Amino acid sequence: MNPKRTMTLNLTDKEMRVLEALSTQKDLSKSAILRQALRLYQLVDVRLAEGGKLFFEDRKKDKAELMVL
Amino acid sequence: MRVPVQIVECDTKRLVEAELFDEVTVAHFLETQNEWRPVVLAAAKRLAQSSASRQLAPRHFHWDWSSKEGELRVLAFSFFGITCNEKLQGLMKLDLTGAAARLPSQKGKPVVYVDYLETAPWNIKALMQALGSGPQYAVVGTRLIEAAVRKSIEEGFKGRVALHSLPGSERFYLEVCGMTKVVRDHAKQSLLWCEFTPEQAEKFLVGDAA
Repeated sequence: MNPKRTMTLNLTDKEMRVLEALSTQKDLSKSAILRQALRLYQLVDVRLAEGGKLFFEDRKKDKAELMVL
Repeated sequence: MRVPVQIVECDTKRLVEAELFDEVTVAHFLETQNEWRPVVLAAAKRLAQSSASRQLAPRHFHWDWSSKEGELRVLAFSFFGITCNEKLQGLMKLDLTGAAARLPSQKGKPVVYVDYLETAPWNIKALMQALGSGPQYAVVGTRLIEAAVRKSIEEGFKGRVALHSLPGSERFYLEVCGMTKVVRDHAKQSLLWCEFTPEQAEKFLVGDAA
């Protein structure tokens, strides 16, 4: 197992409620949710930097490009 | 991370020491291209020339690990390798964000997805038989799947692991590992989607799989 470092994170009530809901829904700890979020953010960032595009397709098969800052 | 593991030397049927590691580098990818791929291609040619079942022919002869070089720095992916006798014996790529469980009881929950798992060709019985010899080491794939389950537990995914099995590997994942056959995925060349539930993963780790 790779060693981990600890940090303090300040969240608003709303952010904490979302984190808790995701934690329940995904059966993951809050730390695990945030680590997943970091992985996804980096993955999207790398793919966009490589010239990729990120799209969401709705049920009608319409595609919308997602802009990530 | 580097930990000792044991694999089986086929000639003597004895357990031998090997090393499982997650510090995979480009050098390991190049080793697969230089050491593994020529053997896979030679065996594939022999099998194509013989009357062997098409099921025995390797479906992964075109895999190119070196194309994954850029993914080594991406947190969403983890790579594991096993070395023994100073040679790479197996390599695996895990995707930690790209898939969710499909089993009704686990639906939507995160899984460690085994994107690629390859053992060195000299450890694959069908390939070595095509080349007139026998495999060198056994249970390399099992040790890598164990690493995937441990990674899943470490990440809080409770042992959930999923993969698309190549046709020649279905028996291994279902009968040896004890994964559940979930669905044949027509969006992915009709490969079989297999999953470990947390309970199955625990059984697998203690050596009590199906």
